[in-house]
Amino acid sequence: MNSLYMPKDSLIHSLDPRTKMIFVAFVVASSFIMNDPALQLLLLVALFPLVVIAKLVKPYLISIQFLLLFAVLIMTVHGIYNPIGVTPVFEIFGGLTFKYESMVYASVMSFRILVIGTGAVLFVMTTHPSDMASALVKWKVPHSFAFILLSTFQIIPIIAREAKIVMEAQQARCLDVKGNIIQRVKNLVPMFAPLFIITFMKVHQLSYVLECRAFSRKGNKTSLRETNIGSLDYSFLLGMLAVLVFEIYLKLFMMGSLQLTTDALLTYSLIGTWVVCGFMLIKFLFKRVQGKVGGVN
Amino acid sequence: MAEQAIEVTNLTFEYPDTEEPVLKDISFSIDYGEILGIIGPTGAGKSTLAMCVNGLVPQVINGEMEGDIKVKGMNVHESNVAAMSEHVGFVFQEPENQLSQMTIEEEIAFGMGNLGVPREEMLGRIKDALSQVSLEGFEERSPLALSGGQQQRLAIAAVLAMRPTIMIMDEPTSMLDPKGKNEVYDVLKNLKAYGMTGIIIDHEVERIAAYCDKVLVLDGGEVQMFGTTEEVFTKIDRLHELTLHAPQVTEFLSQYNQQFDGKLDLATTVKKAVEVYESANK
Ligand SMILES: Nc1ncnc2c1ncn2[C@@H]1O[C@H](COP(=O)(O)OP(=O)(O)OP(=O)(O)O)[C@@H](O)[C@H]1O
Ligand SMILES: [Mg+2]
Repeated sequence: MNSLYMPKDSLIHSLDPRTKMIFVAFVVASSFIMNDPALQLLLLVALFPLVVIAKLVKPYLISIQFLLLFAVLIMTVHGIYNPIGVTPVFEIFGGLTFKYESMVYASVMSFRILVIGTGAVLFVMTTHPSDMASALVKWKVPHSFAFILLSTFQIIPIIAREAKIVMEAQQARCLDVKGNIIQRVKNLVPMFAPLFIITFMKVHQLSYVLECRAFSRKGNKTSLRETNIGSLDYSFLLGMLAVLVFEIYLKLFMMGSLQLTTDALLTYSLIGTWVVCGFMLIKFLFKRVQGKVGGVN
Repeated sequence: MAEQAIEVTNLTFEYPDTEEPVLKDISFSIDYGEILGIIGPTGAGKSTLAMCVNGLVPQVINGEMEGDIKVKGMNVHESNVAAMSEHVGFVFQEPENQLSQMTIEEEIAFGMGNLGVPREEMLGRIKDALSQVSLEGFEERSPLALSGGQQQRLAIAAVLAMRPTIMIMDEPTSMLDPKGKNEVYDVLKNLKAYGMTGIIIDHEVERIAAYCDKVLVLDGGEVQMFGTTEEVFTKIDRLHELTLHAPQVTEFLSQYNQQFDGKLDLATTVKKAVEVYESANK
């Protein structure tokens, strides 16, 4: 596996990368326009069908778990300690109270992370990096910039492999890479110094190779991969525009009369993230224990 | 003299951080369709010389250079590496450092794309290049998911697709096992069939003797010997002085002559040696 790209046969995959880049921008914009927890939750739910269409439910859920961890942290810490809160909502042990204003603030922030994360995951997992590069070139982004972006995807597996080699080499020199946490952190230095140097040298050599492949040649360049904006892209773009207009309308004229954010919603979403996180934790611990038990046998 | 494929005259080169020149007053030329083998001990300056031919030295890798290099009648100084790459392909030693794309097909298309080859033509050329290095059917794979020998052949294919007239390979097989080496040399043989001019640097004199038309021996930055494969490899004493050796069969015939006072001609390939030996024993 070279990148996060998941080759699948879906409508989202066949969209032009440029459309999808606009889509990411649209999601970011939406998450800022709708700065209300309930609306953001709505946005998040609305994005989910797209994940289903892209046939990425499982990888999406796996990658979103990590963002959820952030969400829980933000919601809990801000909910209790953020000084903007005045109205208490509910109390947990030890006199720690969640306050309405700070919970709104925290929810907006963490839902925004989830919404933008979903958009980004949708983009990255459905777009071949080379397509993205050639689409960028069509947008008159300099060729070398597109290449940098592309080779970043490519260099990750190379670094990973070098890291393994360096680790094995250092282990052979009696470096303890499997010790306790402190020991391991200390050992990062003898790991990363050679890794950095090796990567640097590789990139250096690659620059000669690129030069020999006419990379800096002036004149127009061509690409093997073709990306075209078709009717599907136009309908998708129109759809986004419509939603955007609706969001702005909602924001400007309806906010006064519409009050979706209630104490209950905030509390439930907080507890909801706790539950999901707790579940993840249990799963993780379970695997750990299982690994240990399995290791003994 | 008619225009030569590569013409080097009085080339002297010095890296910024070396005390004395790495290349000293080097002159040689090769004609179209010839394959030149460069041999010499490590540090002799072989790679540096090869990189001078396509302009990588001194344009990208800095240093002080004197003398003239003409490739297909063009002065390399007056051009740049990217422009030269249309005429001169360069294959490096490490296979994986030469690969930068996500799939094999794109790897091969990369150089062509930079040259502005239209997409329709690319597809044909990719097919050609892959069949030249016998990697057909691998188009969609990642270059990283290949063995070393396959990666090196891919690097060669990527250069071939740019359709250069001259191909330079700097120790293309030193990272490979015997099978990988054979694979690369078979490609080299094909190049000859395509009428391409080539320079190959290698330590294996047997293979150089079998595949090259001319040999250049470099030591201490100076041309010690230059001539046809026969000329160079039959001067065994001179090679030994330079701590190099001739192909095993040549060494054998020479030893035989010495020990048994034989008068065998020195041959450089197994096939020729058998003929020589056979006719002498009649
Ligand atoms: N970038 C550089 N900067 C300074 N000196 C260099 C550089 N590259 C090579 N040299 C020096 O130039 C000399 C010739 O190097 P070169 O790589 O051309 O040798 P080589 O014949 O290719 O050796 P090998 O068979 O090991 O590849 C060596 O002494 C080397 O130390
Ligand atoms: Mg070398």
